[in-house]
Amino acid sequence: MRKLLFAVIASIFSFSAMAGGHADWFKKAGAPYSGTVLQGVAENTPPGQFAGEVLAKEFEKLTGIKVQLENTSWDQMYDKAIKDMEANSGIYDFVYIEQDIVYDYLNRDFLVNITEGLANNPDLQAPGVSLDDFTTFIDYFKDDSGDVFGVPMEAFIKVYLYRKDLFERADAKASFRAQYGYGLSPATSFDQYRDNAEFFTHYCADQGMECWGTTVQGHTGHPASTYEFLESIAPSFGLYNWGVNMDTYQSCVENGGQLNGGRAKAALNFWTQLLPFAPPEALQSTWSEVGSSFAAGRAAQGWVYGENAAWIATDAEKSAVVGNVGVMLPPTAPGVMTQAASGNGYIGYYDGGAYGIPHSSKNKEATMLWLQYVALNEHQADWAIAGGRITHKGTYADPKVMAVDEQADGYFTLMRDTGFLYAGAPPFPFHGAGRGAIDPFIYSALAGEMTPEEALDGACAALDQVMSDLGYQN
Amino acid sequence: MLSKNKTGWLLLSPTILILVLVGLVPFFYVLYVGFFKWNPLAVDPSMQFEGLGFNYRRLIFDQVFLESIWRSIKFAFVTLFFELTLGFLLALSLLSSFPLKSFFRGVHTLPLVIAPIVVGSIFKLFTVQGLGPLPHILKDYFGYTLNYGLHADQAFWMIVIMDIWHWTPFVTLTLLAGLSALPQDPYESAKIDGANNFQIFFYITIPMMIPVLIVVIFIRLMDSLKIVDEIWMLTGGGPGYATRFTGIHIWKEVFEKRFYGLGSAMSILYLYITIVICWILYSVMVSRGKDED
Repeated sequence: MRKLLFAVIASIFSFSAMAGGHADWFKKAGAPYSGTVLQGVAENTPPGQFAGEVLAKEFEKLTGIKVQLENTSWDQMYDKAIKDMEANSGIYDFVYIEQDIVYDYLNRDFLVNITEGLANNPDLQAPGVSLDDFTTFIDYFKDDSGDVFGVPMEAFIKVYLYRKDLFERADAKASFRAQYGYGLSPATSFDQYRDNAEFFTHYCADQGMECWGTTVQGHTGHPASTYEFLESIAPSFGLYNWGVNMDTYQSCVENGGQLNGGRAKAALNFWTQLLPFAPPEALQSTWSEVGSSFAAGRAAQGWVYGENAAWIATDAEKSAVVGNVGVMLPPTAPGVMTQAASGNGYIGYYDGGAYGIPHSSKNKEATMLWLQYVALNEHQADWAIAGGRITHKGTYADPKVMAVDEQADGYFTLMRDTGFLYAGAPPFPFHGAGRGAIDPFIYSALAGEMTPEEALDGACAALDQVMSDLGYQN
Repeated sequence: MLSKNKTGWLLLSPTILILVLVGLVPFFYVLYVGFFKWNPLAVDPSMQFEGLGFNYRRLIFDQVFLESIWRSIKFAFVTLFFELTLGFLLALSLLSSFPLKSFFRGVHTLPLVIAPIVVGSIFKLFTVQGLGPLPHILKDYFGYTLNYGLHADQAFWMIVIMDIWHWTPFVTLTLLAGLSALPQDPYESAKIDGANNFQIFFYITIPMMIPVLIVVIFIRLMDSLKIVDEIWMLTGGGPGYATRFTGIHIWKEVFEKRFYGLGSAMSILYLYITIVICWILYSVMVSRGKDED
């Protein structure tokens, strides 16, 4: 709350500073649309809250255009946005487009071509907004011809977080060396990760602390667990694009895919074997609960989404581990880092989303103004501090961001310097259907109802069936 | 007479129009879509007609769908049994006087006014491993580990308990209303004839309550068969398929995987199964009622 208040105050200053710059233009351009109410729907994330509570209010003050942003749960957000766009009902003027769903939306022609829209309406082109200012993350929201269909509003990487205070304890170090024969340190390999997890689970119990060795985003009834496996664990073992052969759309080894191959099985074995060392809530944890568990000091290390990394490391009101958070790249199997660096693989998920305009919107022009407003450079630093996200290249060098970066153990620097090792979701138009086919098998593996081998054999068969049903294998 | 009919139809017409728009039109649309192969995520996103039985034939061999139906039926009958038994006992006890009766009735009725999604949230907060109080209490005092994210049986029974907690008050109140309205003459005659409480209950109360019981059973059975919200909130259908009841399964097929044709066929088939179950139950209860008359 304090952080958001700080962001509001800071943005009032930047708003005043902007007054002499782009404010007049927005005021003038927005005048014909004054009184319009723009309705948007997005996932309730720290960046989404900043957009709704800070930027929307400033924008209304300037232009008279009211922005009502409905920040809701991930499931509800998709449900509402997709139903609205399918029915062409025009309830929403802008929707959150998560990176992994953009191919689905483009395939179904849900979204307005923003590049074309602005080119056809030169009067709506705001000064101070340039697509060149964005990081390469914006490329995920372009079509083959390079036209933009979504304005990025959040982007972050999934990093390895660890508790510096625990790893630096002298008694822990000595005990770890005695047990495992090497020094205690944040994990750079999977064996080390597992050893750390096992060690801290017992260490915490011995010390009477409510903490465990690792987080596991292992909800057995929510896609979050499938995502953790497919987008974080599997790539770090060298399994990319869900193990789908991108030429033939087959995922089983016998048909040329990789989803039930050696790397996939090693990854799922590793991940499920972490469960005894995870907090008891792990099997009911989505990305939000993982962030909360780490912030509550209940885990010594874990894969955590970057949108949570910044507040966990800096917001003392919400986090019990401020000042004790270390940030690193996650461990990878031998060769994976080289593949990622050469562009032939990736080590984890470059997550994020953009605001796009559905064709069904009844206020496209006013919404274009709003999307350009959120893209202004002036807002980016405060937005990064409030939400741990960076979408503009220049934001990294902002003094305010650099100060937070120091508190957050260099999270922003890590994102800037190693972002290229990460990748968004594969370009599957059938993303939701494919993931839905895999989900129950991942849930069963986590619950121990299937071995990882059985689960992946079943998952690849189910995914192949879906891709066949949808006509991708012809 | 004709004029009277005209006025009647005129007055009824808004209701009929609404019923047609919100009931019949969607039903026939779903029936229609169920005959098509249709997924907007497909290479060919258009609706393709591949024969009347295309989706239905597929469902007959869809193990996951068939298991979800069996799971839903099992759930419906298990909850019905417990809710009826508990509801009847509570209704009978509420007929007599005891201290704090009004307070108890008020508290007992509270779950009824809570939305299903909120009931799911309450149970989740109460039972989630590591943070909820129930797993701590069970572990600390009884040595029992509650982790329905891991154990399929626990997940199923947790949902059964949640449903019983939520809907038993409805059964209690409905049966209480029925019991309060029963004529007293048969009871007085039975007592004069020397019948004991057990005989009075089974030979007088139960037969006279059959019309009310039929209503309660149908409402609860149909509600249980279409349960979605609470499960969505508590387990999401997991672990694995353990709590993927038919409602959840259809939702996932239609809204996650976008198999509109197949999902519509599932809905129609499930509706048919629900009607058949209710019809069989109704026939059995009515014929038994007649036999006892």
